[in-house]
Amino acid sequence: MTPRHHLDEATVVSYATGALSPEMAAVAATHLELCHHCRAVLASAERVGGALLGQQKPRPVDVDRERRLRDAMAERLDATPARGGFVRDAPDLPADPDGLPKPLHAYFGRSWRALKWRWMGPGVEMIRAARTSGDTLILLRIGPGKGMPVHGHGSTELTHILRGAYEDELGHFSAGDVADLGPDVTHRPVTSPGGPCICVAALDAPLRFPGWFARAVQPLVGL
Amino acid sequence: MSEDARYWSWQMTAVARTGDREGFLRIYDHFAPRVRLYLKGLGSPEAVAEELTQEAFLRLWQNAAGFDAARGSVSTWLFRIARNLHIDRIRREPEWYLMPEDQPEEREGYGTSAESHADCVDLGARIESLPAVQGRLIRMSYFEAKSHQEIADELGMPLGTVKSYLRRAFLKLQSRMQDSV
Repeated sequence: MTPRHHLDEATVVSYATGALSPEMAAVAATHLELCHHCRAVLASAERVGGALLGQQKPRPVDVDRERRLRDAMAERLDATPARGGFVRDAPDLPADPDGLPKPLHAYFGRSWRALKWRWMGPGVEMIRAARTSGDTLILLRIGPGKGMPVHGHGSTELTHILRGAYEDELGHFSAGDVADLGPDVTHRPVTSPGGPCICVAALDAPLRFPGWFARAVQPLVGL
Repeated sequence: MSEDARYWSWQMTAVARTGDREGFLRIYDHFAPRVRLYLKGLGSPEAVAEELTQEAFLRLWQNAAGFDAARGSVSTWLFRIARNLHIDRIRREPEWYLMPEDQPEEREGYGTSAESHADCVDLGARIESLPAVQGRLIRMSYFEAKSHQEIADELGMPLGTVKSYLRRAFLKLQSRMQDSV
């Protein structure tokens, strides 16, 4: 799976600095896990962080305090043997076919099969994460040929496609792609033929539906 | 800076190979005050910044054997660790996903061994040479961990403008990183 739609560089910088909300970060991390291109951008963004860290100019210090901290550090080093090798998780195990991406576990559990979808309308199902920091995080499953009504965004919508594909004014988005949409975008995603499109989306403001019908259903959908 | 980064990479490599405690403490002496200052900039009170800094160096020590100079500099690794400690500290739910902080598995980045070379040309100076607004946005992002929206509110700029300035600043730094390899 080689993604063709990537994170905005400005979003990657925010991820690298720790400024994304946990929900936005979870969607970004889901994409980063399988996107070599965006991981390379992230590595650059973290290098900038490293350079800035090295550039910090500490003020002249309280010598006694520094000495005490250093002694405490040395003691902890003696008490803590360095590990012989580097432990990396997930060595060469094949991926669990029922496993949701790790960054989403805290919100939706670990298993695809255990997901409890909620019917929202013909061909549209949703699960909304309960415990969030304030942003909205949803899983959406939209049947083939079905779509969301035309909508704009109060601010930012970050959507990663987990399965299936959809089309909108911006192009064709399939599994592995991410749509990093700012406040200026209005679109009407429609699922491509074949199977349902399942995606995870983080929103930092309510969606705006311009039509009267869509506005009428908005409170029901809860977005 | 270039010589500096090279030196610390060498020192950390020596620690990785031999578990040299004195060498590690030299790294600590140089970087600990910088990590503390970074954490204070993110809003940690003095005592918390001290505690998290000690924790950061303990993690660096425990994982030292995995250090590979070709995969990244000491300061970048410390940045990742300190950032994660900070995020972990301020968030409500412990299960929320935390980004990886080991050195990257692959030698990622544009070009080959991007980091060691990029470090040799002074990335710091290149940040300095950014246009004033772009430099300010980069600093607000990294040193204060401000979101695009927070920056927009604080500077009275449209959100889209903040994003495009940041994108431009970052691409400028990145393209020069590529030039340097």
